[in-house]
Amino acid sequence: MYSDEALDFLKSAKVNVGDEIRATAKDLNIEGEIMPNTEATNRDIIVIKLKNGYNVGINFRKVKVTKVKSGSGMPGFPKSNLKQDKGLPNVSLIYTGGTIGSKIDYKTGGVYMLVKPEELFYEVPELAGIAHISSNELFSISSEDMSYREWQSIANEAEKERRAGAEGIVITIGTDTMHYAAAALSFMLKDLHIPVVLTGSQRSSDRGSSDAFMNLICSVYLAAKSDIGEVGICMHSSSSDDKCHFIRGTKARKMHSSRRDAFRPINDMPLALVDIKGNIEYKNSYSKKSDIIGRAITGFEEKVALVKAYPNSTPDIIDFYLQKGYKGLIIEGTGLGHTPTSTRDENGSWLPNIKNAIGKGMIIGMTSQCIYGRVNENVYRNLRLLKNAGVIYCEDMLPETAYVKLGWLLGNYKKADAANLLNKNMVGEIKERLEYDEFLV
Amino acid sequence: MAKKEGNATNDDSSEYYNSIGFLCGLEIHQRLATKNKLYCSCMANLLPGDAIVSSIYRRQRAVAGESGNIDMSAKFEEAKDKAFEYNVYRNTSCLVDIDEEPPHELNREALDVALAIASSLNMKFMDELEPMRKEVVDGSNPTAFQRTTIIGMDGNIRIGDYSIDIPAMSLEEESAGIVSNNGNIAVYDTNRIGIPLIEIDTSPYIKTPKQAKEIALRIGTLLRISGKVQRGIGTIRQDVNVSIKGGARTEIKGLQEVDMLDTFVKNEVIRQINLIKIRDVLSGRNASIGQPVELTGLLKGTSVKVINNSSKSGASVFGFRLIGFNGILGTEINPNRRLGSEISDYAKMAGVKGIIHSDENLEQYGFTIGEIESIKDKLSIRSGDAFILVAGDQYTSKKAAKLAIERAEYAMIGVPKETRSVLDADLGTTRFMRPLPGGSRMYPETDAKPLLLTKAAIDNAIASAPDIEKEISALKKDLDDDVLVKQMLLSPRLIAYKKIAGAVKADKKFVANMLLQKFTEMKRQGIDADSIDTDLLESAFMRFADGRLTKQGVEEVIRRLALNGGTVDEIIKANKLERISGKALASLIDNIAAGEKLEKAQLIKKIMNEYRLNIDGAELNGLLGR
Repeated sequence: MYSDEALDFLKSAKVNVGDEIRATAKDLNIEGEIMPNTEATNRDIIVIKLKNGYNVGINFRKVKVTKVKSGSGMPGFPKSNLKQDKGLPNVSLIYTGGTIGSKIDYKTGGVYMLVKPEELFYEVPELAGIAHISSNELFSISSEDMSYREWQSIANEAEKERRAGAEGIVITIGTDTMHYAAAALSFMLKDLHIPVVLTGSQRSSDRGSSDAFMNLICSVYLAAKSDIGEVGICMHSSSSDDKCHFIRGTKARKMHSSRRDAFRPINDMPLALVDIKGNIEYKNSYSKKSDIIGRAITGFEEKVALVKAYPNSTPDIIDFYLQKGYKGLIIEGTGLGHTPTSTRDENGSWLPNIKNAIGKGMIIGMTSQCIYGRVNENVYRNLRLLKNAGVIYCEDMLPETAYVKLGWLLGNYKKADAANLLNKNMVGEIKERLEYDEFLV
Repeated sequence: MAKKEGNATNDDSSEYYNSIGFLCGLEIHQRLATKNKLYCSCMANLLPGDAIVSSIYRRQRAVAGESGNIDMSAKFEEAKDKAFEYNVYRNTSCLVDIDEEPPHELNREALDVALAIASSLNMKFMDELEPMRKEVVDGSNPTAFQRTTIIGMDGNIRIGDYSIDIPAMSLEEESAGIVSNNGNIAVYDTNRIGIPLIEIDTSPYIKTPKQAKEIALRIGTLLRISGKVQRGIGTIRQDVNVSIKGGARTEIKGLQEVDMLDTFVKNEVIRQINLIKIRDVLSGRNASIGQPVELTGLLKGTSVKVINNSSKSGASVFGFRLIGFNGILGTEINPNRRLGSEISDYAKMAGVKGIIHSDENLEQYGFTIGEIESIKDKLSIRSGDAFILVAGDQYTSKKAAKLAIERAEYAMIGVPKETRSVLDADLGTTRFMRPLPGGSRMYPETDAKPLLLTKAAIDNAIASAPDIEKEISALKKDLDDDVLVKQMLLSPRLIAYKKIAGAVKADKKFVANMLLQKFTEMKRQGIDADSIDTDLLESAFMRFADGRLTKQGVEEVIRRLALNGGTVDEIIKANKLERISGKALASLIDNIAAGEKLEKAQLIKKIMNEYRLNIDGAELNGLLGR
């Protein structure tokens, strides 16, 4: 937005954003189109798109502006009318937002997320040759703004699509919290028995180098062709545009802030590798696809939290959540699953607060901030103290997965069952054996 | 005037070029000598011996630009169905360079240099700098775009009695250097990518090819005297845009040697004149192009090697008829270039090695008369027609035929808008590279925030702006020799000269002559004295000033530095180059003169034969005159 003064100035020159104008000052004569202010520095700066495509910014106070021609408005994005082949497997594409569908918004200079799937098809026509695609835009939410309510909508939509004949489902979603969504959907859709593929992109699809194209193509291949009946994440397996990997939804984590191969399987191997030609190479055991359609189980208890233990951390955090009426807590402990327990400063120990919270009915689960490996309640005395206090050790489950699982369990099961199920494997989130080559995959 | 019909090469007057509607503009790209790259903290130098950590494989595709359309030239690159491999270096590339991390803040050092140069070019500064993405889909940037920002506008530069406008100057990222380009995969080095680069564009109103060269030289000089630009091969590149009335804008990309610039421009003018002539001839003949016809079956068992070698899986051949084109494909339009070569360039984009056409000696290819007759028969060739054949695997040859037809059809329209690259640097000829990009290649770089240009930054730019006139008067004062001043001003060794002349108390003319004449002499002998670090050169001259080297000794040290490296003192010691003077020289003379009765001239000859590098002739002469 321009400043009020700049707007008045443009108004008095009878010029609107999008109009072709001439800006003149001493020794300066610029022709171009008025763009919106970038809001980056000073809102008095008029941004002009020159004929050569460049933008320049000039303070309105320095120039005289005259209109050359009224603007024709912002052009829309070209759309594709996919010729759908009904002989191909039915795949439902659920669009929920994120960089994969993002475009530069020339009105604000920012990235906006209101792109229709048809626009993606304009750029990825290959999809029409892989599956018979029905697409719908469920909502458009940035990854960091997503909550369990959106996971519930997605799960319900997926069930609906499945009942309408979808043989596989692709969900485009923002990457930041994709692994939380993948874990949630793994539990909510555990009885759907078809491939449910979450995908996104780390480079927005308005650039030719975007990872979105290959991620989407590989995801649709998985949804259309694979016999996997699980929820997972399909993204680049390396920095190269050669293969994507499909990671079990409860065993995936975003491990890099910007690389396209940010998503890694943790304590697990990918279920499959898939390339842009649709070759699928299975790398792990998995639940097979089936014709049985179960209901989406979408209950979720919002009064569950994830906390991290670290040197100097205060156990007051437990009391805080207890007072706020929280029913469950996952601790991201150190190493094998510690919190400060026998500190020299007696106020530093988490033990009394944990005991108190559990006594009052809170379920507390323990995971490791090491991310890789399994927690163990028996190796050290302090661990045994925590276990004896009633803390549930969550095996090799990722902290984020454990958090989502506890919320889901408390939303759908009786408390005692939830506590009992927390560290029992349901959808592949817990493995009894950790194999040597599952580290840093 | 009858000049229009005249031979363009013989008339260099601006009147002549005006009469043909000559338009010409330059784009000069110069790498800056900053510590870091433009948008990351990698060093901005190519580090010899830097290790390749990994190679990554990428694909790119054309995407809709700001105006909602996919740019034609971007689409064309995509159509080539290319994959790219990027070499990632230990010290000179990071995640930003391989499109795995958003850009960091714009490099302020680079911005200051760019602003200073913009100030020299009398440019007007903007208030807010707006970083843009310029789409590039040839793979030369892993992001598929180049970050570029306009720094100044509406400037000019004066050359003697005329001046040329500089409408815009921008600060941008250098592209990745190409390593190889074989078939469907192009390999690039990412160490070069992101080095700060400035682009200076002139207006299209350069009047003659000679002016184009003068302007390029002048801008090159200005850049060099700033002292903030990289030197050496590839650090400065000129793109030239040329068109004439009835022709079309052609961009010749990547001219590295400015010496040939006028020849390239002249040749482009001639090429366009000839293409227009061809169009007129074809129009008179009512020419047209036929459809591609598969001739694979017909040429089964042929002994034509270029066909048989064109595909491992069995060649397929496509041909098409060019009605009324007889003799036209072989018409020379530039030295060693025919219309056939132009068409061939297009076909090659599909991956074939070239085309075969009927203006060539087909029997030399190995065609039998029977084969030629049956091709003609199949394509319904009549007298006055021509034909073109392409061979390769099925997909490639079909695509090549389509592209060749596209270009052949344009021969009837005139000059296609093209980006061309250097084909022969000695002849000054070019070849088709890709269609000229349109205007929709630019959109805002939202990962790099716009930047407010402060008054302090502008004041600093004005204060540190390089000034050619000032430079000339300083050189005149130093050298007192107009020829030498001019040579020095145009020389890439100017910066080295200034550094040495400023630091060493030695005869400045001697320094200048050494850097100009002697370096050029060495270059002719295959000795690259330009590769020597300026600090080393400085210490060689320092030894001269200290009386430890003679002038000849300095030259010898430089020669050896270029050939074998090492330090100046090591070379002096190892080669016994220490100057002999004063008492040592006197006793040397006594020793040699003793026992022999020699004339002065003979004595000098004898001494100098042995001690040419160690003894200053004048001193010797002085001593003997005693």
